[in-house]
Amino acid sequence: MVLDDQGEVIEILSIGSDITDRIQAEEEIRRLNDDLRQHAAVLEQRVADRTAELVIARDRAESADRIKSAFLATMSHELRTPLNSIIGFTGIMIQGLAGPLNEEQQKQMRMVQGSSRHLLALINDVLDISKIEAGQLTLAFTAFALRPAIEKMVGLVSPLAEKKGITLVLDIADDVATVTSDQRRLEQVFLNLLNNAVKFTDKGQIRISCRRDNGHYRLSVSDTGIGIQPEELPGLFQPFHQIDTGLSRKHEGTGLGLSICKKLMDMMGGTIDVQSRWGQGSTFTICFPRQAGDLS
Amino acid sequence: MSETLLIIEDNPQNFYMMRFLLEKNGFTVIGVENGREGIEKALTLKPRAILLDIQLPEMDGYAVAEELTKHGELGDVPIIAVTSYAMVGDRERILAAGATGYIEKPIDPETFVAEIVQYLADGCGHLEKRQ
Repeated sequence: MVLDDQGEVIEILSIGSDITDRIQAEEEIRRLNDDLRQHAAVLEQRVADRTAELVIARDRAESADRIKSAFLATMSHELRTPLNSIIGFTGIMIQGLAGPLNEEQQKQMRMVQGSSRHLLALINDVLDISKIEAGQLTLAFTAFALRPAIEKMVGLVSPLAEKKGITLVLDIADDVATVTSDQRRLEQVFLNLLNNAVKFTDKGQIRISCRRDNGHYRLSVSDTGIGIQPEELPGLFQPFHQIDTGLSRKHEGTGLGLSICKKLMDMMGGTIDVQSRWGQGSTFTICFPRQAGDLS
Repeated sequence: MSETLLIIEDNPQNFYMMRFLLEKNGFTVIGVENGREGIEKALTLKPRAILLDIQLPEMDGYAVAEELTKHGELGDVPIIAVTSYAMVGDRERILAAGATGYIEKPIDPETFVAEIVQYLADGCGHLEKRQ
């Protein structure tokens, strides 16, 4: 302050700064913060809404899964029960337990039984593929000895192989020991390959070999059968594929076997491959981990 | 004097098949269709063995087995489960419920009786199914 002779204030000097910009900036920040808070509240609400929607969708999906699972389990039981009756009673009659059968009756009973077994195989395949497609097929892992499992499956096809005059050769390496996998499903795949080999071979041999390959086992079924045309190979592991060789009527099959094998091998963390020469034979090879079950 | 077997089975054709095969081999067979009746019959009859279908309506096979094993007087009556469940976990469950062993459906008419006879010879206790 500047004073005159009488002590009256003449001027007031002050050093000031123009704080308009600063005030405006602070206002802006306050406004942006409020906007931000509002947006955050809106987003939070949206997230809450979306989460609620997803919970409903998830519950619906789980419920649908349970319905599918129950359906497949029921169908499995309902379809197999009457068939087991047919197969069982024809078995009893064929054994002569319900009285002697004449030759013609025996023959026709065997045809009924054969057809019933074929129907059962079809039902099993259709149920398997349905379960796989519905994501309802689960594997159960146990440790088991591989050699006896292979031998058991080979034993199942030897009567038919013998009847056809086909030699079965087992070539299992000495270090083939235990495997941790789904025994039932692995055996299902071996048996499928063996059945195919016997089906499509009229003479010669079928060689079953098994080797250890680091953390895997490699099993091949090699036959001297009619082989597969190169153009058939890509579609071989697709469902409903059955090679039409003109002989297909002789080869009863479901057309699902190899696609089920492929899916099962995939689920086990393994692979299935084929090599074939038309007129010479085919070799199907499966490769699977010695310790399945470390899969998520 | 033939031995009596009690069969708890709700499917008439399955029951007929089992009874046919067992009677042919000298057994006397009594059958009931549900679990509760089965438990009552077991207590009054004290059969040589009980064949129990696992897939029963109402009171299921596991519950029946558990109930049967609670009765001390049936301690030496083997319970043989008849089941289409072949999965590893189910086998354990059946044995844990008190079954001595199990026979897999579909029943194989050629081996069914021999399997039963084997279980009878083995007596009670937890035994794995013969391969």
